[in-house]
Amino acid sequence: MACKLPTQLATPGKLHHHRQFTITSTTNPLSWRRTLSPEPILSLSTSFPSGKCIVKQLVTCSASGTAEATGTVNFGPGTPVRPTSILVVGATGTLGRQIVRRALDEGYDVRCLVRPRPAPADFLRDWGATADLSKPETIPATMVGVHTVIDCATGRPEEPIKTVDWEGKVALIQCAKAMGIQKYVFYSIHNCDKHPEVPLMEIKYCTEKFLQDSGLTHVIIRLCGFMQGLIGQYAVPILEEKSVWGTDAPTRIAYMDTQDIARLTLIALRNEKINGKLLTFAGPRAWTTQEVITLCERLAGQDANVTTVPVSVLRFTRQLTRFFEWTNDVADRLAFSEVLSSDIVFSAPMNETYNLLGVDQKDIITLEKYLQDYFANILKKLKDLKAQSKQSDFYI
Amino acid sequence: MRAASASLSPTTNASAGLRNTNHFNFTFPPLSTVKNNKNWSSLVVVRAIKDRKEAEKENVDEYNKESTTKQQQQQQQQQQQQQPLSLEDVNPVGLGRKSRQIFDEVWRKFSGLGQISRTTRADDQEALDALLVREGPMCEFAIPGAQNTTVLVVGATSRIGRIVVRKLMLRGYTVKALVRKADEEVVNLLPRSVEIVTGDVGDPSTLKEAVEGCNKIIYCATARSSITGDLFRVDQQGVSNLTKALQDYNNQLAQLRAGKSSKSKLLLAKFKSADSLNGWEIRQGTYFQDAVASKYDAGMDAKFEFTEAGEAVFSGYVFTRGGYVELSKKLSLPLGYTLDRYEGLVLSVGGNGRSYVLLLEAGPSADTTQSKLYFARISTKVGFCRVRVPFSSFRPVNPDDPPLDPFLVHTMTIRFEPRRQRPVERSGGVKQDLRSFKLILEYIKALPTGQETDFVLVSCTGLGVEPVRREQVLKAKRAGEDSLRRSGLGYTIIRPGPLTEEPGGQRALIFDQGNRISQGISCADVADICVKALHDSTARNKSFDVCYEYVAEQGRELYELVAHLPDKANNYLTPALSVLEKNT
Repeated sequence: MACKLPTQLATPGKLHHHRQFTITSTTNPLSWRRTLSPEPILSLSTSFPSGKCIVKQLVTCSASGTAEATGTVNFGPGTPVRPTSILVVGATGTLGRQIVRRALDEGYDVRCLVRPRPAPADFLRDWGATADLSKPETIPATMVGVHTVIDCATGRPEEPIKTVDWEGKVALIQCAKAMGIQKYVFYSIHNCDKHPEVPLMEIKYCTEKFLQDSGLTHVIIRLCGFMQGLIGQYAVPILEEKSVWGTDAPTRIAYMDTQDIARLTLIALRNEKINGKLLTFAGPRAWTTQEVITLCERLAGQDANVTTVPVSVLRFTRQLTRFFEWTNDVADRLAFSEVLSSDIVFSAPMNETYNLLGVDQKDIITLEKYLQDYFANILKKLKDLKAQSKQSDFYI
Repeated sequence: MRAASASLSPTTNASAGLRNTNHFNFTFPPLSTVKNNKNWSSLVVVRAIKDRKEAEKENVDEYNKESTTKQQQQQQQQQQQQQPLSLEDVNPVGLGRKSRQIFDEVWRKFSGLGQISRTTRADDQEALDALLVREGPMCEFAIPGAQNTTVLVVGATSRIGRIVVRKLMLRGYTVKALVRKADEEVVNLLPRSVEIVTGDVGDPSTLKEAVEGCNKIIYCATARSSITGDLFRVDQQGVSNLTKALQDYNNQLAQLRAGKSSKSKLLLAKFKSADSLNGWEIRQGTYFQDAVASKYDAGMDAKFEFTEAGEAVFSGYVFTRGGYVELSKKLSLPLGYTLDRYEGLVLSVGGNGRSYVLLLEAGPSADTTQSKLYFARISTKVGFCRVRVPFSSFRPVNPDDPPLDPFLVHTMTIRFEPRRQRPVERSGGVKQDLRSFKLILEYIKALPTGQETDFVLVSCTGLGVEPVRREQVLKAKRAGEDSLRRSGLGYTIIRPGPLTEEPGGQRALIFDQGNRISQGISCADVADICVKALHDSTARNKSFDVCYEYVAEQGRELYELVAHLPDKANNYLTPALSVLEKNT
């Protein structure tokens, strides 16, 4: 696993320097920590031999054009960039689209970096954002004239975590540094420093460190969980009377509405005092899976067909799948079960953050309210549909 | 109950009574009064009917039971028949597919439990988006009226216009953008599903296509230079052309609906034949009721006639001090129409440019003694002109009376009085006698009201324009504003301070009237006001200045922030505008 990673940026002399923030990871030490070095990043902009650049190093990269482009575009320190121009990476995601929308509404010029898919992000263009395909060779060009980069991209579960979440991020941060981006916002996961056994969390933690060392003006925001995810997972199956899967884990997560996250992010973005800080955004209350299901049942007015999977089964499956190389991806996917088993709470006191941002706690939506809105709207819609179908019964 | 029983036919009554006699062993009370007896009998009937219904119900139930048992038996038989499996069920390909489907589903859910970031599948995402992201009810940007509103944005590539277009798109409006040239550069600047219309505000013929299908217009174009010709073309003539185009389009719609649309005016009087003068009566009087008046009585006369030229002319003279002559008529509205659905009157008149007092008498039409008088002064020009008088400009003659309620208006009067007449400038320099008048009436119509604004115009306060050109810029802008105000469309005129490029929604805004503001404002905030004004009834027919709050240095603040408006449902516009004057 380690040999796949780019190591050419690391200089052996830097190794000792990085041990100080090496996490005590026993199971699966990741060698990519070696690359967390500020000097090579700086050198990227000036003289990076394009021939030496290995493909995988840049964002899902397949070409060496990046380095050349970086070399030619030379941004002096005085180039005026409008502070209202931002680049959103991962703009089609659950959080990304809310950020794009919020930013557009507040009058920012939003550029989006989206992955080339069959129908790449038409809705973003409909809202008035400019969408660029994330081809590695065009990334530096995309960053021309951009003041702030908001990075809310993360790998899909079916994708190998390392290419998107590590190699891609490293390349993006390096590129941002080289292009003189004035602020970089990165989303991480709450408690990611405490769970190095989960690959995604470890990667996020390493990226945090990498960003802090890069010298970019940055804001790191750690998130707990999205309310939007609950709808597909619990609310829809309950309404459709399908089976809902839950664990008996006592883990509590403080879910938050992505619209609120987007709003707070943009407030944080404008606040100069927050530069270089690490914020944690958590919802008003932490919920267990069982509690969420109960709430959904109550609001939907029908009982859920719950299949409870003991955490031990999940863990066992993960252990099992880790034995084989071809199931390693599966094991990564189940990695979160390690965290689930512990009696941990994914929440953080928000008072300080609210004060810092000047936000009123009342404005943050609670899960009860959110799900209530959802069910009220859905049930109304279903009612309308029924009424419509009755109307269409014509007997001639 | 009793009414129902009474309407039953006597035969059923009797038979029901007969059938149920054995059920009830009650004794008739002593027949003291006939009335009492009647009550009893009806009561019996009611009970009887009830009983019969119950009995029927039981019957039906029994029948149902029988039928269900029959059905069950049939089903059992059918099941027995179906027991031997068909070939389809044991088809290995089908079985494999089915089991794989089930396994996939289970595995997806199972692995979902072990993940932090769960992404919904594409089809789920689609359904979720409809609710949460696109114009769905849970989207914080959704506006109820947005989906069936088409907005024309003029100057869509300007600093404000660009943001306006995006905001409209986010809220689910249908947007048309008027651009001068549909270059690739321009097209790329606008969201993809915006309909782009090529045209020039200075050229009325190109605007017809632009306003087609539009409900509202946001005008944020401005002249690129301060050359007088440019200013005139864009800021003055442009606004006027566009209001005309929208009016024409609305009129066209109104015609299609045969005058029944909410956009059509209500004809109160049309003077096109001698008959149409019937019902109008001339009165005269003086303001001085005492004996002194007679001292100044120098005579007055007036007549209302239909001339050979086909004009209805109200003319005459008033030499008496404090005297007046008036033309009055009781209004007869078509059935189903009331004036409260209208917001004012429009008169098409000609004459020698005197000013008149328009009086409305309002009160319950049955009792005219309770009527109250309301007046508004109108001035006319030499030659023909159209005068708009909003109902809001009528003041009660007796200051203690409540404001005019157009619903109660029953009589309209046009009064001429020699007081406060302004001499009309005429080239000939002929000395005019201000005490004589001539008013040619063409029609009087009521203007339809609307709840919302039709035309949002971004003008300017003149701050930040270089002093040399300021006069010229302001002159053109004001002329544009005036033509919009006179147009009869619902309007909102926004005069922002000097524009800055900042994210919006960050600072407190000051809404004011009367050219007193001193600060700048960001384009995004102006755009937000434009969009909010579209559906805000308090923004209709208002002009206002807007800028950021003046922020003093630390420690020298003038204000203390006592309230923070909540961020969600951030409707600051209604409270801010409700205190401002209309029709200014």
